[in-house]
Amino acid sequence: MKPILDVEGLTRIHGPGCPACLDVTGPEHDTNICRHCGSVVAVAQASFRLHKGEVLGIMGESGSGKSSLVKMLYFDDQPTHGHATFYDEGQAHDLFALNEAQQLRLRDTRMGMVYQNPSLGLNFDISAGGNIAERLLMSDELSYRVIREKAKALLARTEVPPARMDELPRNFSGGMQQRVQIARALSTGAPLLFLDEVTTGLDLSVQARILDLILELQEVTGVSMLVVTHDLGVVRHLTTRTIVMKTGRIIESGLTDQILEDPQAAYTQQLVSSAL
Amino acid sequence: MHPADTMSQNRDGAEYGFAFLDEDAKRELRRTIFKAVCIPGHQVPYASREMSIARGFGTGGMQVTLALLGPNDICKVIDQGADDSVNAANIRAFFALTCPGVTGTTRTEEASVIQTRHRIPELPLRADQILVLQVPYPDPLVVVEPNAARRRRMHGRADYARLWVKLYEDMVAFDEITISHRYPTRINGHYIIDPSPIPRFDVPKLHQAECLYLFGAGREKRIYAVPPHTDAVPITFDDVPFRIEDFTDPETGTRRACRRCGATDSFLDEFLDDDGARVFQCSDAAWCDMRLERLEAAE
Repeated sequence: MKPILDVEGLTRIHGPGCPACLDVTGPEHDTNICRHCGSVVAVAQASFRLHKGEVLGIMGESGSGKSSLVKMLYFDDQPTHGHATFYDEGQAHDLFALNEAQQLRLRDTRMGMVYQNPSLGLNFDISAGGNIAERLLMSDELSYRVIREKAKALLARTEVPPARMDELPRNFSGGMQQRVQIARALSTGAPLLFLDEVTTGLDLSVQARILDLILELQEVTGVSMLVVTHDLGVVRHLTTRTIVMKTGRIIESGLTDQILEDPQAAYTQQLVSSAL
Repeated sequence: MHPADTMSQNRDGAEYGFAFLDEDAKRELRRTIFKAVCIPGHQVPYASREMSIARGFGTGGMQVTLALLGPNDICKVIDQGADDSVNAANIRAFFALTCPGVTGTTRTEEASVIQTRHRIPELPLRADQILVLQVPYPDPLVVVEPNAARRRRMHGRADYARLWVKLYEDMVAFDEITISHRYPTRINGHYIIDPSPIPRFDVPKLHQAECLYLFGAGREKRIYAVPPHTDAVPITFDDVPFRIEDFTDPETGTRRACRRCGATDSFLDEFLDDDGARVFQCSDAAWCDMRLERLEAAE
């Protein structure tokens, strides 16, 4: 299997940081606040590999650093140390060595993000179609007719009625806003997608349909996904491999089935057994 | 020339240096203008000085003009095409007062420096002429991004997708692009400028021109330029052509003509005459007068 994303020793420390930061935080200390300098170690020494066409889950309680990790990979935040390599179209991009313009170019054309809160991923002041048009325009599609057709097709694929494509997304239900976000993320045919708690806050039937939609789109397009969630159901439904995080560290990783059926780390055992 | 020869006096007899501004201020302005010419379309910040009129009344254009004028220059000032409107007449009077040796003119072809508000003259400008435009809002991105620091980074990356989204939303709502003035225009393939509130009719005149265009924003403290022989392309979609104002009379199907000179190729102002009838007349007064003179001479 070919890798699409290689992450090595990714670390994010909020605050001044000191040499002892990494030694006095982590699961064994049950904290991510350094007692010497007061810095918060959001993510420490995270390393993993995502393969082409794979769906990898990142699971953990809130504050465990799973969203911080994805934010860095999507350039919403800068890491303190670490590397990430993105393999795309025969090229290896050292993500954090690129300049801002190159980073945003990659992010706008070759990556997609679906946030938990649609207001982060969508501009509520422009129409649903306009939100998708923005991504297409970023990848230099300048034909109005083509943009229109592509936006319509994408919204149809994510089950948003085409009749509502010229409406503002603020008038949509939560589930539909999430569908517009997914359509936007998919619009440029990006090979890498980040999903950050996509179903949190939606009711169960809508959750199930969104998950089905994501799974179906993944199978059709073969896009690689990094799925951040605290919901065991989402992990079980979507992912083939899973990483478990606690206090900024990766404490366990492996096949999703294995982790859910036979968790090794004490925290994972607790997490799995506490599922309702 | 000895500095004493270039002194000017105001009405109370107090002495000013030539062209009102002190030499350091003019030097800074000229340096800024050079930089603006070197990076076509880039908004170069400068220390906009206090002028004798309030900011927002053309102080940016005035400072650029004052930095350019020398004692042998011939200067023209227009406001929406007219030489005799209050703003233009007063600025021209100010130049006459503070720049001894500079002659004022209303004839486009005579002027070496033309300061203008919201129009580009109809007569094509030559390589030895400079057009200075007064700019109220220099940044075209201000409509899509309120944060100035972020806007400057967007300009650096040529990240203008959100401007096109505006056009897309326009097309969806009205089936055409409805920007009437301040039409975003891409200069030399990178920066997009706000060409000041000139009508769409004037935007093509920026493209591959013979003359130098300088844009001065006094309140916003920015100067930018479109140098001669530089590409200036109004942004649009590949399949939605850029259109200029249409002066076709829907009743007769012909293009309306100026009621004074009969021109059918100039930008027209529409207004009501004393009898309440709608009439159309060249917005560029000097162009209209020149055509009338030619017509009279031909008779």
